[in-house]
Amino acid sequence: MTELTAPNVVASPTASDRRRKLLQNLLRGERPYMLYIAFVILLVVFSLSSPWFLSVDNFLNIGRQTTLVSIIAVGMTFVIIARQIDLSVASTLALSGMAAALAMSQINNSWVVGAVAGLGTGALVGLLNGILTTQLSIPSFLVTLGTLSMARGLAMMVTNTKPVIITNETYFAIFGEGTFLGMPVPIAWTLAAMIVGILLLHYNVFGRRIYAVGGNPTAALYSGINTKWVTTAAFVLTGTLAGLAALVLSARSHAARPDVVQGMELDVIAAVILGGCSLFGGRGYILGTLFGSLIIGTLNNGLVLLGVSSPMQLVIKGAIIVAAVAFTKR
Amino acid sequence: MEPSGSVATQPRPPPPLVMVNAINKRFGGVRALRDVNLEVRAGEVHALLGENGAGKSTLIKILSGVHAYDGGAIEIAGQPVAFDSPAKSREAGIAVVYQDLSLVESLSVADNLLLGREPLGRFGFVRKRELMAQASAFLTQLGIPLDIKAPVGSLPFAYRQMTEIAKALMGEVRLLILDEPTSSLTSDEVRILFDAIGKVTRRGVGVIYVTHRLNEVFEISQRVTVLRDGANAGTFVTADTDMRRLVNAIVGSDRLAPATVRAEAQTTRSIDPSPVLSLSNVSNDRLREVDLSVLRGEIHGLAGLIGSGRTEILETVFGLRPVESGTFEIDGRRWLPKSPADAIDHGIALVPEDRHVQGLVLDHSIERNVTLSRLPYFSRWGWMQQGAAVRRAETAIGKLAVKAQGASSLVRTLSGGNQQKVVFGKWNDPRPRVLLLDEPTVGVDVGAREEIYGVIRHAVRDGTGVLVVSSDLVELIELCDRISVIIDGRVVRTLVRGEIDDAEELHHLLQLLQASGQSASKDALQELPA
Repeated sequence: MTELTAPNVVASPTASDRRRKLLQNLLRGERPYMLYIAFVILLVVFSLSSPWFLSVDNFLNIGRQTTLVSIIAVGMTFVIIARQIDLSVASTLALSGMAAALAMSQINNSWVVGAVAGLGTGALVGLLNGILTTQLSIPSFLVTLGTLSMARGLAMMVTNTKPVIITNETYFAIFGEGTFLGMPVPIAWTLAAMIVGILLLHYNVFGRRIYAVGGNPTAALYSGINTKWVTTAAFVLTGTLAGLAALVLSARSHAARPDVVQGMELDVIAAVILGGCSLFGGRGYILGTLFGSLIIGTLNNGLVLLGVSSPMQLVIKGAIIVAAVAFTKR
Repeated sequence: MEPSGSVATQPRPPPPLVMVNAINKRFGGVRALRDVNLEVRAGEVHALLGENGAGKSTLIKILSGVHAYDGGAIEIAGQPVAFDSPAKSREAGIAVVYQDLSLVESLSVADNLLLGREPLGRFGFVRKRELMAQASAFLTQLGIPLDIKAPVGSLPFAYRQMTEIAKALMGEVRLLILDEPTSSLTSDEVRILFDAIGKVTRRGVGVIYVTHRLNEVFEISQRVTVLRDGANAGTFVTADTDMRRLVNAIVGSDRLAPATVRAEAQTTRSIDPSPVLSLSNVSNDRLREVDLSVLRGEIHGLAGLIGSGRTEILETVFGLRPVESGTFEIDGRRWLPKSPADAIDHGIALVPEDRHVQGLVLDHSIERNVTLSRLPYFSRWGWMQQGAAVRRAETAIGKLAVKAQGASSLVRTLSGGNQQKVVFGKWNDPRPRVLLLDEPTVGVDVGAREEIYGVIRHAVRDGTGVLVVSSDLVELIELCDRISVIIDGRVVRTLVRGEIDDAEELHHLLQLLQASGQSASKDALQELPA
């Protein structure tokens, strides 16, 4: 391995080239800059039409409001690039939150136990999704439609639909209310998820395999890739991130409730698709997903500030998503 | 054959059902058909023979109105016709049954037969009882024994085919074209099919029967027309001819490889006699007791018809098909292929038949494709070493002379030959112990083909054993040290270089082996001209 890297230093003229290229890849994915232009247009429109929009506080607000979608969308990016879909994420979040809160209330009121229980539950749901999809060859659309219902039902069953109060201050500080390097922790966790996603997708062998499995599953198999394992891993990652989102949400609200974030999977999927992922697999990038999620968050925020009625907000949001996808698709 | 419509007054036999006169067809620069004639009489089974690419399919597609023709004329019952669509051909009474069936598997036989022309009652509801009665009456009249209520998907293949034939015969049909109808039937099913064909011809329908199986020609046809390289190579009365004459007509005598190519191929190499891969008694759903060995530095060819099991041998070695019984040895060690990943770990590489479906991720770059099969070599602790990956892709592009702008070019933008070189590039380094090649030069232009031969020979010089499937016999003769003939999932015969050294002889041998079934291989070889 060392002899592979040693001559690298000599090849420096191409090295900077390569770095620039990689940066380009990271920023624009397949469609040059369209996404960023759309985001900027959105910012300008809202800034001009609402005096409260353009402020640090409001941007932090947008950041906080989009954390849940952004965190899960990182995982969903892997799933969609691998030519799958995960509809169960919102229910997984609810179930993971309940698991975290209940585990803490049962065992020492320890935040570690809560975190492990929350992330573990999410990972388990992801594993179930992955195994059912790959081993039984059921389309993931149907598998996760089933687990969507099952996870939500379980979350409601464990306490008979009652919320579970959380009292651990450290838990609140780490996942919900503290700051890290001057950032509110929910935003820090979002960034952390993004960075892990970028590393895994763009710098790790796993990312290569994800792209190949989504781009052409047969060719991936013929290249010696364990396509079932790779697909399952994408689901586990998504489930785990839904677990992380559950920790953030429950720490912010000092409780876990079984009926939270119903329908959020649609926002997550919309963010990923807006961000440039192809539903046909093989294409997409994490930074695009972040901006997709920010566009949706900004829309939600800006429309509220403009005083648009909430039914009308839904209509506008839906129309913009369809228009954006129509605009950015190849 | 002269056009016969001119002299109308003289009493003559009725004009033939179908007359194809001097039909020409070009695809771009390629002349697919040159002055082809064909005459089919009412009530006759007329076999149409020829190798893959001889022009049979093109002729059928012209008769069925799929392709237009460039010159010549078609007459039906003495009347000139011009088809510009399949519907026109159908109106003229021509029905085609293709190899890939066009039935709705979830619907019943009766529903399929009357699909699109169901008897309707008031408000557009289907009159189910009437539909059943019509279908049943039709099948009784044809004498085809089918359960009209059975869903087509639940029927054995032969019965599906008969449903297809029956469907083709609904309405006014005068000419029925069957394109290799027996290629996936068992011998019992063939019987059933032949009975059905007999019943059809008795009603005065003419049948064009396309096949690769010469024994069937003698069993069912009255006359035979052979096409070769897009031209007529003879029309025979079946009763007055024999298998040798048909084989000669099919193969022709001008199919020798160009002299220059052959001279280059004859360079002698010393082959290490130890097998790098050997299969003994390997059986599964498609293979029967396959015995085969590939020596270090040997190019071993697999010849046979499409569907004979050649590709399946490669797939089994590569871990894509479960093994039922038998043993494998790689470099003398026992081994059982479990998955492609496992096969690759053991030094096996596959250049698959369909590069678009199996070989490449078309929307990804050359670099991504080339490194996909060797990711562990370009990563440390799972993290990609981007520089090494790009350098590797650039090396592959240089070594294999891939014409592309760079390693980041999308594979989709490359020509067929260059795409195939990228597939080879996936396995370039480290050298595999065994390189499996499935139709390595299909859809590749001549220049790139020579370059790919160079790549294969280079691999062999480094000690790789190559197992290559090809339908191009000139290619097999040119490349291979040994050639095994595969029929029905079995290795029927293995030839050593020198035993047969031109493609014509190999053609003869294949045709005769195929015609005479699985066993009589030795006799077949002795019948060959010296």
